[in-house]
Amino acid sequence: MMVRKVMIAVLAFLAFAAEAVSADLPPEPLSHAGMVKAAIEQYIIPHIDALKAATAPLPDAVDNVCKTGSPEAEKALQEHFDKAVIAYAGVDFLRFGPMLENGRREQISFWPDPRGFVARQMRLLLLNKDDTIAQPGAIRKQSAAVQGLPALEALMHDKNVPLGPGDAAHYRCLVAHAIAINVASLATEVADGWEKPDGWADKMLHPGPSNDTYKSNSEAAVEVVKALIVGLGLTADLQVKPQIDAKVRLTPPYDKSGLQKAYYATSVASLHQLYDVLNLESWLPPDRLWMKDWVVGTWRTLESSDGVGGHMPHAKREDAPTLREVFDRTNGLRNMVANRLSVAAKLTVGFNELDGD
Amino acid sequence: MNSMAIDRRHVLLGTLAFIGATALRPAFAGAATTAAYVTAARLADGSFGILLLSADGTVLREVPLSARGHDIAVDQASGRVVVFARRPGAFAVSFEINKSTPPHVFTPGEGRHYFGHGSFSQDGRLLYASENDIATGMGVIGIYDVARSFKKIGEHSTFGMGPHEIMLLADGKTIACGNGGLDTTPEAGRENLNVDSMQPSLTFVDAESGKLLAKHEMTGNVKSLSIRHVTQDAKGVVWFGGQWEGSPSETPPQIVGSVGLDRPFKLLEPQGKGGDDLKGYIGAMAVSNDGRFIAASAPKAGHVLYVDTETATVIGRSNLKDVCGLAAEGARDFAASSGFGVIRYETAQASKISERALQDVAFDNHLRRIA
Repeated sequence: MMVRKVMIAVLAFLAFAAEAVSADLPPEPLSHAGMVKAAIEQYIIPHIDALKAATAPLPDAVDNVCKTGSPEAEKALQEHFDKAVIAYAGVDFLRFGPMLENGRREQISFWPDPRGFVARQMRLLLLNKDDTIAQPGAIRKQSAAVQGLPALEALMHDKNVPLGPGDAAHYRCLVAHAIAINVASLATEVADGWEKPDGWADKMLHPGPSNDTYKSNSEAAVEVVKALIVGLGLTADLQVKPQIDAKVRLTPPYDKSGLQKAYYATSVASLHQLYDVLNLESWLPPDRLWMKDWVVGTWRTLESSDGVGGHMPHAKREDAPTLREVFDRTNGLRNMVANRLSVAAKLTVGFNELDGD
Repeated sequence: MNSMAIDRRHVLLGTLAFIGATALRPAFAGAATTAAYVTAARLADGSFGILLLSADGTVLREVPLSARGHDIAVDQASGRVVVFARRPGAFAVSFEINKSTPPHVFTPGEGRHYFGHGSFSQDGRLLYASENDIATGMGVIGIYDVARSFKKIGEHSTFGMGPHEIMLLADGKTIACGNGGLDTTPEAGRENLNVDSMQPSLTFVDAESGKLLAKHEMTGNVKSLSIRHVTQDAKGVVWFGGQWEGSPSETPPQIVGSVGLDRPFKLLEPQGKGGDDLKGYIGAMAVSNDGRFIAASAPKAGHVLYVDTETATVIGRSNLKDVCGLAAEGARDFAASSGFGVIRYETAQASKISERALQDVAFDNHLRRIA
């Protein structure tokens, strides 16, 4: 039943996102300025706002569980939590601008966590029992590992001391509430960072010599294309690869809540939406139009997988793609965007500049 | 198998495209059969390899790799080179420039991976490599016996987390370690796990005993400046370039600086909004052959910064999209390579001497002079 609810939440999110990009795509190539505008208006802002909206109910939902301990309250908290995670999956790869400021990305969603920092730091926090954790902003002074959604999930799923009324869970409830407020605040800060006058949207929409980040429309457009490339890489390397390479031991995202499939589905759907918004294919010369068919087949493959080796319900492909195929196709698409489509669109995404080293 | 015994000499001769209007300098033009540079690269078919280039940019030899390489350690006396896998890779490939013997592949051993950089001892008998102790996240200097097919014979600590470039200094006894301060594991790919608590530093380690000689930590408003690359000038001063991991709005005005065994680090005086202009990332450092000038590449910004070490001032800044690889050329000039296949010669005053491009080849982060 819970899985069904989650998938309904995913589908609701995707329907919202699809609506956000439902405007007919222009038949002509978008200019670089047009790409940036489209990405901001049709993808980034709607998804950032969705994260803000999805995280806002978390503090009250935590409070309700802590006051009543009722199954209904627990269920409601889990549903709100799932929606917040799904909303975050839609912006996980927007690793620039307000999400980078003050390390907000790690604070909202400290994953991957191969060293188990969330559990370790949470143990320390619970041992210390410092009541000042309830004070505004106190949680921000803690490790990023205990500030966000994975830390809240850990408290929600600790069967030894479940959240609820009573002394045993009192301090945990203080921490959970502080985390929930923090996540909602961080999402609000990210949204404000994008949307305020002279915020990041303005910065991207108005490049020039006096702009300290983007000197041209091309630079701003490259930023968005890089996010798409980063997102494809994250999906392949962190969500799919651990399942096909025995040497890679990585707990899936939000595993305690059973959100691995939902996270994958949202990641793929979100990347597909951003890809469509950018409309890079419209720049392809006639002799390269075969790439469009390859890309269509690749999205079909990725969206026909449930992300764990099974078949996505209502998928366009009848068979379940193997995870190896999903991994290879995702990397292939990453390379296609980085080395072919961006070049066709006269956007130069550098080999060395992409992620530093 | 990380490298195949395939040696495709001259295969890319036909892909050369001359794009500079300036004629090559005579000193460069006549040496088309002598290998002058080595670099890792992405090749036309999307695969990865090591390229030996003549001074005029001609590809003389190509050694395929199964994954992306990074920097190359060069032992000038023996003509031996070692290319290291890009982090978190776990292979290194050695071969001799003037021989056609098959490349030799070796690894850092269980529980370790490379960070892409290394350095030979002055006598060429040992190789030092920057590595990750995956279990703890602490940096180590792997020590390899060259004569015994690069058998690993020991390790020293780098006294920091996430070392990137390590360099044996001119005294032949001290290793400078750029500890990026970032915790990474192969499981998490290239994700940084501790940006909020990172502690970057530049350490000096005795190459023989492994003793820590000095440690200079990035603190205060540069605590998020991950030290990535190092080089040394004629006076023995170590110069470093960093990668900013903190808030974009707090990018320091300069991310290139100098440090010594007995003196703390000092960033260059800002030349306007230097940090912003460099987009927070220095991809490689090099020193001129006379030791006076430093070059620092900023691939995200598409700039090379030139510094006169006598005055510690920026004396030139050139523009080249996705520039990263740097190497000395002549007494005071530099060669720079880019991810778009361009190799360019320019002076420390940032005047272009000549430029060539290889079609469909992307030069990786580092370029090393081998002759």
